[in-house]
Amino acid sequence: MSAAATHHDQAHDHADEHGHAHVPTYLETLRANRLGLWLFCISEVFLFVALIVVRFALWGNTRPELDQALGLATTSVLLISSYFMVRAEVAIAHGDRDKFLNSLLVTFVLGVLFLVGVVGFEWGLFGITFGDHELLKPTDGAFGAVFFGMTGIHALHVVSGLFLILMVYINGRRGGYSTERHWGVEACAIYWHYVDVVWVFFYPILYLIGTPVH
Amino acid sequence: MNYKRHLVIASALVVPVTVIAYFLIAISYKLPFQGSAEAVKIDVMMQAHFVLIAFLFSLVAVLMLYGLVVFRRREGDDGDGDHIHGNTTLEILWTVVPLILVIGFGIWGVNLLNELTDAEAKPNQLLVHVQGQRWSWNFSYPELGVNAPANERAMVREVDDPNDSNNIDLILPVNRPIVLEMVSIDVLHSFWVPEFRVKQDLVPGQTTYLRFTPTAVGNYKLGCAEICGGRHAYMMATVRVVSEACFDQLVVQQLPLAEADASCQYEAMPNYPDSAK
Amino acid sequence: MRQLRILFSLGIVWALIGQAAGAAAGLFLVRAIRAAANLPPSAEAELVIAAMFSVFGSLLFSGVLTDWLKWCVGIETPLRHGDPDGLPAWTRYFSVDYNHKVIGIQYGVTSIIVLLVGGILAIIFRLELSWPGEQFLTPESYNTIFSAHGIIMIASILLGVGAMVNYLVPMMIGASDMAFPRLNAFSYWIAIPSAILIMAGMVIGDGWETGWVGYPPLSTIDGSPLGTQLFILGFYFNGFSSIAGAINLLVTVMIMRAKGMSLWRMPIFVWAAIATSLIQFTATQTVGAAQLMVTTQRVLKLGFFDPTFSNGLGWPAGDPILYQHLFWFYSHPVVYVFVLPGLGIISELLPVYSRKPLFGYKWVALSSLGIALVGFLVWAHHMFTSGMADVLRIPFMLATLLVAIPTGVKFFSWVGTIWGGKVTFETPMLFVLGAISVFLIGGLTGPILGTIPTDLHLHDSYWVVGHFHATMFGGFVFPFFAAIYYWYPKITGHMYNERLGKIHFWLMTPGFWLMSLGQMQVGIWGMRRRIYDYDPALGIEFTHALITLSALIIGWSVLIMIYNLITSSRTERVAAINPWGSRSPEWQVPSPLPEFNYYRPFEVVGEPYDYGVPGSVYVRDVPAAGD
Repeated sequence: MSAAATHHDQAHDHADEHGHAHVPTYLETLRANRLGLWLFCISEVFLFVALIVVRFALWGNTRPELDQALGLATTSVLLISSYFMVRAEVAIAHGDRDKFLNSLLVTFVLGVLFLVGVVGFEWGLFGITFGDHELLKPTDGAFGAVFFGMTGIHALHVVSGLFLILMVYINGRRGGYSTERHWGVEACAIYWHYVDVVWVFFYPILYLIGTPVH
Repeated sequence: MNYKRHLVIASALVVPVTVIAYFLIAISYKLPFQGSAEAVKIDVMMQAHFVLIAFLFSLVAVLMLYGLVVFRRREGDDGDGDHIHGNTTLEILWTVVPLILVIGFGIWGVNLLNELTDAEAKPNQLLVHVQGQRWSWNFSYPELGVNAPANERAMVREVDDPNDSNNIDLILPVNRPIVLEMVSIDVLHSFWVPEFRVKQDLVPGQTTYLRFTPTAVGNYKLGCAEICGGRHAYMMATVRVVSEACFDQLVVQQLPLAEADASCQYEAMPNYPDSAK
Repeated sequence: MRQLRILFSLGIVWALIGQAAGAAAGLFLVRAIRAAANLPPSAEAELVIAAMFSVFGSLLFSGVLTDWLKWCVGIETPLRHGDPDGLPAWTRYFSVDYNHKVIGIQYGVTSIIVLLVGGILAIIFRLELSWPGEQFLTPESYNTIFSAHGIIMIASILLGVGAMVNYLVPMMIGASDMAFPRLNAFSYWIAIPSAILIMAGMVIGDGWETGWVGYPPLSTIDGSPLGTQLFILGFYFNGFSSIAGAINLLVTVMIMRAKGMSLWRMPIFVWAAIATSLIQFTATQTVGAAQLMVTTQRVLKLGFFDPTFSNGLGWPAGDPILYQHLFWFYSHPVVYVFVLPGLGIISELLPVYSRKPLFGYKWVALSSLGIALVGFLVWAHHMFTSGMADVLRIPFMLATLLVAIPTGVKFFSWVGTIWGGKVTFETPMLFVLGAISVFLIGGLTGPILGTIPTDLHLHDSYWVVGHFHATMFGGFVFPFFAAIYYWYPKITGHMYNERLGKIHFWLMTPGFWLMSLGQMQVGIWGMRRRIYDYDPALGIEFTHALITLSALIIGWSVLIMIYNLITSSRTERVAAINPWGSRSPEWQVPSPLPEFNYYRPFEVVGEPYDYGVPGSVYVRDVPAAGD
């Protein structure tokens, strides 16, 4: 982080007493941060793959009846949000702050829409159905458990992604990022795309693969 | 330093130490009585493992101790040891030889396992239904129409053993292949009679099978080997392996215990955990 | 007054207050919401939310999140380091500190405290098992205590691994700290509330009786004690510590090595730390998922592992065996997390005390990676009798046996290191040799469990108990103690008491042999695992009495070590800079090391273990351009 500058000065003051502190430059810190984030992403792969394995172990070649239109809509919303996230990152790299902030805001709104679709409608929080099938309940054996488990874990990641976007937005409005130094934006974008890619796997696995059982 | 000479001496020492180690293992880790045909086959493999353990233990222990004694630092010597980085030939040797051993044991294990779990129906085999629950066992014989929990007679014994609170005994005919068809109605349990050497968990929601052929008449102890809550330790039952004639009287004909032949009585048979040592 | 001020400056005090406050807040919140929604009170829901809030409260109050929270609102924070202002220097060990050596000591001391708790539990139930029949415990309290012993010891080992990795790796590779110091502190400070949750599970809500594995349906069935839930959540949150710590370590090793330190010139312990971290940052996720599923099944009735579901429409039900797969996919590799650092310590110390290069450095390094990778493919050998599909048993048996090969490479390399050396027998070396002997017992008793036909008899018997205690003691406890004695002069600047160290060794090692061999004996004779009482007809009473006796001996010997460690820093002589004549960089500078480890950056100019080559060095100071 840019805290490195302050760290550097202090380290020099204490050099004799405290020994030699290697003070990382911004680029070195960036490299460490990137590595760390990607390792975190790899780590999370194991969580999502575990969930996918559970789905195939328990559902096999079947799946519950789900609202296909809603599934397609939420998936599209999330994919489009990723486009705006890219737009935001490109914008800050070119120093276009307004475009950056606007794109971020659109990403945020689309993310919230995704949550409304999955948690609000598909989970039945609003109690509204569009199709002729009944809503799945969490207690519906393996169908309920896996569906609510997978969408729940994914929704938790979306919520944390939204929190990150909000944070970046607030800091961005204050002018916290520059063309050269915007690791916060990059990290947020990587995370958001990651969450998006996970859904790209979850969507067919939950909605498309297997024969529906009524 | 003449390593060859040291190596020859140490290797020569490995042989007698292996013999002693195997002897110690054989007397300290004497396997329980062989109560089933499977036990005989499994014990051959057990002994092979024991030989291997004795040999590898002696190999490492002797080379290590020999090295520690011979290559200890002498009084007043402040120098370093020989500058030897390694030896690729040796490394390959101690990678490949264990690999061969491992493959050998692997093939043996696969073949023996296939033999033990062979699901093909054998002539004269007997199907027994086992139900586990916290904390007791129920046994019935679906092919004979004998439903133990409802049966008040031969299989139900006065409880005389504080370590066996199960008042239903599992009665099996000697020398007949047994297939246990096992279910659990609550949590995981596991069927283990040490004298039979084989073990299988009981899983709620599915049926598991265990196959063995008891070969010696006597009373054995069955215990639950998968933690199942408070009285897990006491989830035991008596397995009575009886002659075909006794099996006929006690199970097929359902004679009350008092009317059965004297040789079929519980007290008339050896208790295997006792006589094992 | 001043004492009180100091007390309330300590992060650990605030962590505890925060945990209590968080628990209270969570409890109140659930009660209020359920009352408002006209729902009946649910002890289970209250407990889960209270536990989650308590962890967050602990982190918040301890101050480990403060910098990050400030970053969230755009405030930059300099990295705080050095002794705290206006407070005694020792207080930094009880508060959030970002220096890897302080965190290493925090991990180490916590590990030993947790080890003592787990050890006391072991001695309690060993006394119960000394004779057949009911002694002084109830079956339920016995189950709670042995389950807690298992998971608490695992927590202790993970903390101990954290201690060694944190303290040693940056020092060995010439870094001034870890790559992410705040994340490092987070890894430690989240281990505290999770350990407390686990221990609370013993006393709140009737304990638990599932063993450390927590298999459903026993862990999820109606009427299973509430303590189970606390244990599962404590286990879950401890995973954050593992994942964060492992990512931190990997990044540190990847980018912060000293100039010239290529992969093949790293101290061998660093290789072990890499292998360990590779396991930790991946496999931990699956057990986390499993524990979350158990929690949701208990609280929200999601039927992941519930086989009884049926709605008449042919919808699938859950599967209890699935949990075992998820659980062992982590919990088998994690065994290598426990032992690989310890085996690294053995390989690190043997050359120093033999005055000879490590035999086959590359083979030893690669064998660590080999064990870690093969470790991912063998998990189902814990389930050979579980009723899983028969087709799975055979590949897992073959993969399991393969573990023997890299492990064998290590043993033979150790022998090769000793041969031709000039061996001395100080306490750390004794513990290294003890570790090899004990790990040999543990290793050799493994393949018999790996071939399924023999495993059918030994599975879930005391043979397994003896086997894994030998691997844990040989792979972790003995090397950990060796490491403590070895680096004690570097950490404190004082020598430990050699005589007490040797007494510790000569009590603990034979004690352990007796215990482990005895456990295997009763196992092969028919003693089942996790039982509160046993059938005297098995003829195992005498051996059980011996096992209890040796457990007591081991317990006393550890107390001797703790006494030694506490008193020696005051009473013993000041240690020489390099009392062991090691080539490792940390021994070339005075003890204790300065805040940033080295006064000058060093560069690597030789091999790490080139003992016996006159004049060769491993590292030298980088000539400063400006000076």
